[in-house]
Amino acid sequence: MNFLTPDQINRRTFLTRSAYGLGGLSFALLADRLLGSETVQPAEPGWRGALRHPHFPVKARRIIYLCMAGGPSHLETFDYKPELVRLDGQVFPDSFTQGQQLAQLQNTVLKARGPIAPFSRRGQCGMEVCDLFPHIGGLADELCVIRSMKTEQINHDTAHAFMNTGSIIKGRPSMGSWLLYGLGSESENLPGFVVLTSKGRNGVQPVSARQWSSGVLPSRFQGIQFQSQGDAVHYIGNPDGVCQSTQRQVIEEVQRLNGSLAEEMLDPEIATRIAQYELAFKMQASVPELTDFKSESPAMLERYGIKQPGDGSFASNCLLARRLAERGVRMIQLYHRGWDHHSDIVGGMKEGALAVDQATAALISDLKERGMLDDTLVLWGGEFGRTPMGQGTGRDHHILGFSLFMAGGGVKKGTVYGATDELGYRATQDVVDVHDLHATLLALMGVDHLRLNTKFQGLDIRLTGIAGKVVRGVMA
Amino acid sequence: MNFLHRFLLGVCLLPSVLTATEPRLSFNRDIRPILSDRCYHCHGPDGSERKADLRLDLRGEDALLVLAPGDVQASEVIKRVFSKDADEVMPPPESHKTLTDDEKAKLRRWIEEGAEYEPHWAYAPLVRPAVPSAGSKENPIDSFVRARHPASSAGFAPEASPERLLRRLSLDLTGLPPTESERAAFLSDRAPGAYERVVDRLLASPRFGERMAVWWLDIARFTDTVGFHGDQNQRIFPYRDYVIAAFNANKPFDQFTIEQLAGDLLPSPTVEQRVATGYNRLNMMTREGGAQPKEYLAKYGAERVRSVAAAWLGSTFGCAECHDHKFDPIPTRDFYQLQAFFADVKQWGVYHDYTYTPNPDLKGFSNDHPFPPELQVDSPYLQDRDRAARAALVQYLDTWSGAKSPATAERAAWIGSARAWVSAHAGLWQPVEASGLRYKRGQTDPVGPLGVAPTGALELGAKARSGDEIRVVLKPAPGRYASLRIDLGGVAFPVEDNEGSGFRVFAFQLHSGGAHRRVDVHFADATAKRPRYRNGAELDGVADGWRLPAEAGAEPLAGAWVFQQPIEVKPGDELHLRLAYDVTGAVRFSLSPFATLDPRRLLQDELVQALDPKSRMAPAARQSLLTEAWLGAGARDADAQAKARRLASEIRTFQGGKAWTLVTEAADPLPVRVLPRGNWQDESGPVVLPATPSFLPGQRVSTPEQRLTRLDLARWIVSPENPITARTVANRLWQPFFGTALSAVVDDLGSQGELPSHPELLDWLAAEFRESGWDVKHLVRLIVTSRTYRQSSVHRPGLRETDPANRLLTAQNPRRLEAEFVRDNALFVADLLDLRAIGGPSIRPYQPAGHYAALQFPDRDYVDDGAEEQWRRGVYMHWQRTFLHPMLVNFDAPNRDECTAQRSLSNTPQQALTLLNDPTFVEAARAFAVRLLTGPGRSDAERIERGFVLAVGRPPKPEDRDRLVALLAAQTEHYRAHPDDARRLLAVGLQRSPATLPAPLLAAWTQVGRVLLNAQETITRY
Repeated sequence: MNFLTPDQINRRTFLTRSAYGLGGLSFALLADRLLGSETVQPAEPGWRGALRHPHFPVKARRIIYLCMAGGPSHLETFDYKPELVRLDGQVFPDSFTQGQQLAQLQNTVLKARGPIAPFSRRGQCGMEVCDLFPHIGGLADELCVIRSMKTEQINHDTAHAFMNTGSIIKGRPSMGSWLLYGLGSESENLPGFVVLTSKGRNGVQPVSARQWSSGVLPSRFQGIQFQSQGDAVHYIGNPDGVCQSTQRQVIEEVQRLNGSLAEEMLDPEIATRIAQYELAFKMQASVPELTDFKSESPAMLERYGIKQPGDGSFASNCLLARRLAERGVRMIQLYHRGWDHHSDIVGGMKEGALAVDQATAALISDLKERGMLDDTLVLWGGEFGRTPMGQGTGRDHHILGFSLFMAGGGVKKGTVYGATDELGYRATQDVVDVHDLHATLLALMGVDHLRLNTKFQGLDIRLTGIAGKVVRGVMA
Repeated sequence: MNFLHRFLLGVCLLPSVLTATEPRLSFNRDIRPILSDRCYHCHGPDGSERKADLRLDLRGEDALLVLAPGDVQASEVIKRVFSKDADEVMPPPESHKTLTDDEKAKLRRWIEEGAEYEPHWAYAPLVRPAVPSAGSKENPIDSFVRARHPASSAGFAPEASPERLLRRLSLDLTGLPPTESERAAFLSDRAPGAYERVVDRLLASPRFGERMAVWWLDIARFTDTVGFHGDQNQRIFPYRDYVIAAFNANKPFDQFTIEQLAGDLLPSPTVEQRVATGYNRLNMMTREGGAQPKEYLAKYGAERVRSVAAAWLGSTFGCAECHDHKFDPIPTRDFYQLQAFFADVKQWGVYHDYTYTPNPDLKGFSNDHPFPPELQVDSPYLQDRDRAARAALVQYLDTWSGAKSPATAERAAWIGSARAWVSAHAGLWQPVEASGLRYKRGQTDPVGPLGVAPTGALELGAKARSGDEIRVVLKPAPGRYASLRIDLGGVAFPVEDNEGSGFRVFAFQLHSGGAHRRVDVHFADATAKRPRYRNGAELDGVADGWRLPAEAGAEPLAGAWVFQQPIEVKPGDELHLRLAYDVTGAVRFSLSPFATLDPRRLLQDELVQALDPKSRMAPAARQSLLTEAWLGAGARDADAQAKARRLASEIRTFQGGKAWTLVTEAADPLPVRVLPRGNWQDESGPVVLPATPSFLPGQRVSTPEQRLTRLDLARWIVSPENPITARTVANRLWQPFFGTALSAVVDDLGSQGELPSHPELLDWLAAEFRESGWDVKHLVRLIVTSRTYRQSSVHRPGLRETDPANRLLTAQNPRRLEAEFVRDNALFVADLLDLRAIGGPSIRPYQPAGHYAALQFPDRDYVDDGAEEQWRRGVYMHWQRTFLHPMLVNFDAPNRDECTAQRSLSNTPQQALTLLNDPTFVEAARAFAVRLLTGPGRSDAERIERGFVLAVGRPPKPEDRDRLVALLAAQTEHYRAHPDDARRLLAVGLQRSPATLPAPLLAAWTQVGRVLLNAQETITRY
């Protein structure tokens, strides 16, 4: 082995820069411009974050965001509405819906639909959870359910954009990119922001890579999507017919050539490039190690409900999420596409619950047993909720009130926060909008949302735009 | 350049030396950035947020009162700025904005000096500044740059070495490195003007247009897909061809502007001018279920304002959608007045026809339909391909027609029997007795039999619904049949569904004895049809659905279904068909022993003529058609038939050389209102008419009598009164040649942007650009022939402390190639890049499987292109907005959701992984190895030296060469021991290597190729 060690690289980088480089001086200057004096010079290539120290006490070190794409019904998960049971099948009161946006219920007669499944009181706290989710209900005392969410966008594409970036303007960085930019990653050899996707049988909607884009932040902060077929990460595997030793020799020669170039050019990019090849080579080993579940016991697989490890199911992704969390990945986002129940909500909710209930609960309890739930924030929810009005055999998109839950990382346990009106139509008590949610997540991560920003087209843009208030009521 | 560099651009860091030698502060340079960033939020142009009725962006009475010019003791501003009292200090603590000591000192000095304001540089009238060393022969660029060189510096860096300079110039102007012969010619050309001659050659190269197109397509947000939700394909590549051709023809930039924004409004617009208007259609579009048409029209309208303002005005209008701009004098009203210019662009908020949001204009639209309005145009690329493919087919048929045909006797015998059949049956077809049963959707028992007309036709019945089907039993005479014909009469459309009206044969069986087997259809086509689509592409033929023309019923309609293989019908055999249908009318069935490559030829009597020796048909055409028919149904050589069919289906993919493209069509303008806080549901705002921005000179405003049009806007944008377009474009044209533009924030020349590093130079270039007739090549030539450009990029110690980002241009800057050119360069070095043609449809290089797995409506399949398209240039790569090709993503190509004037430049492990492991680069490394192995060079060392020159433009240092020789030896030994690995490596990609090269040797050389293609110097131009 003839690699430059990270120390050698850093020393080399430093020497290059202190003499002529772009690094030290200019970064310090511009970092001041960016973030006041709270920034540090990054240690290349691992990014330690733009913030020198947290603004608030750090409750959570990482987020696992279980994104229920398509918009699961709050009325069949966490928001029980007896009044809606009574009104089932009758014309929905005009007083609620007048002047409000509709999606596929545009130009139709609106009728109430009662919840399609019963609810039970769960845990010591006695919160009502739909019986379709027995495993999640079993962890009621760990959960903080918010029943008073609202969003601004009624269509999937833009609602996802709003939920992930706080804006529907293209080019705004996603939540994970902001975290990575602000806090850096604790993982040496893995991307700091990882996205996994799985798909249900019905209610499936597309998602876009835009949802994990770094937007106007440098692309190193983008989410890296793991694939369920082929290489787990694009181009992570050696080419066919190239063994590890050949790959190593090739990289070594690339490094040597680049080192030779650096003697002449004094281009700081060269040192960075050398470091990135080193990191790439390490990733080539660490990603397969990560995705290989051999070290997980059969009992563990069974607990998550994994039929075939690495099959791209939500259950398999949940276990992978735990493994990523163990390795210090800052933001892990799981999309489960399967909640857009315009029709057959009865079958759809059952399917959806079967796919995610057990694995979600297994993830939370597994983290807890490992002592990781304390500093891992798990967020479960969709981009919006669904109408208390029926649409054929289903429900339409709904933005004025919906539910999600958090667990771990500094949130109040066994808590229900906020409420919708008696029909589950509008969040009325302690309303939490998407910016508030973002501000709260950042606060739990120790970040003041007003002080994590970047310049773009003359603006200090931030995740929460010009809004957002921290919801103290959900914080322990 | 890495992210640091981008930050640098973002925060407008200018070297401190700028202020060191200036006796007096400049408002634009020193003060405006401070006021804008820290004060304008509450004391700026936005009236709704203004505090204390004080605005500091103008030198009004309110400002003078608190500034107290010349009297710092009396200045409230100074008092507040220096205050330690949290209730008094400005900016207030809750704003999270602070002033540094240096900034406070500047403000104090500025007020001491009289608090003079200057008009914002970018909006000031454009007057050509005097060249500092007027009269000298020096390139004016160099005079301006020299004038700002610090006194302490040694001035310009020495000129780059000829080999580096040539590589730099070639990559900058064409995106490709020089060839070996170009390099040799330049290095040996000692005559004066050698460099200028290379500049002229490169500017005249058609590769120049492809290179500049990458620059413009980011700005024009050109993509192959619509971006929202299902991100379906849109048909637009002729617009890209237009852009490439415009740069190659050096179309004046004012004309380029007018054609894109308003080509359709020009008097008697040409096809080219209408294609250019595709620009207005490149906003993202949706057809998501549940989307409100009005909301999305508002989104499209707003995006267009942002994109036009960014592209031509270098201004950030986005903020003004909801409120007056915080920093620039852009009121909300300006935003909507600019949007009103585009209110006539014909489009739909939701490109679908949902029951809950019916859209009569797009009746029957599905997720597979295109995005009208579109224009069908000739595509020179497709025409060439079409012509070549037709020639190939004719040539192939001729090999069987001529005297040298290997099957002359067989063919002649077939012609004889064919003549006999035609005369016995009075034509190509034999009507068949048919009976049928009608089934309702989803029912297993028939509703009843179909009526039979006296002609033998089956009557479909009066009322059919989508999903209903009929099952038909045909009782043919014994014989051999190759095709089925269906004639339709008296068609009417009682039902319309998403697929439109028509019918489809979806099951076809031959029942013989007790058994039955499927009859596979090779291809079917009809005399007339309406197009059917899959993800925006028109489907061939009618085999999986025959959508009848809207005017059906007027003329007889017929279709022919050619079987995969002819069927042998024995006495008593039956043919069973199932047809889905939603039309009324009558159907008649016939069978034929004939088959042609184009089934429609069976529906004409051309073949009958060809078989008739007495007919007057041109001999060549006759022989060709007879061969086609013989291969279609008679020939014993299955391979010959398959090849002919393959050639014929290839021809069909070229659509007769035609292509559709999104264009702008003008409709009655929709009313545009000022939307309070951008809320599309709030109709309380006033309706506005088109007007150019109020803060820019030469404003044009509609009157109730005369509404301004897009053409008026376009003409104003490039008018002499408007200074900002020339500045915006000249500034942006600097960037590709130095990495950083003169005003580094190229998408914001406003108050929060950056005062140019060389303001006079930028104004001079802008004036020169405009007065030269908006001559892009002229401006580029001026830039690349300057001494400033030709400097070495080897940075000199000492300068970096005072000018860390080299903004004073005492050297060139290294510049990593853009994603497309990283790819082009590797393929070109490998001798794999396909430069045969210009333009044409987008290409699909190798892409990891499953990359589109999260895409739906419709589900997406990515099929790598074959050898004809695989190695074309990156500018042609399919641009999928929601899931851009990972190689493009990894090298910072934008997804082009909106106008992107500046790409970020990162340096990531993903880039390393791409260059190391993406099959495109692995295959390129192997092709590079083949090139080196089969090219000149007597030894490994010589071949490696050649490889070095090809990859980076210079010979290696001896120790670098020797290391690669050693790597080669080690790898040769390795692959000799692992021949299976060598074979697997050689199988990557489509390109096959010469069998004469031993696999282990080639595999080992491939590793040398990979090292060279991964080198930083290869992907960077120095």
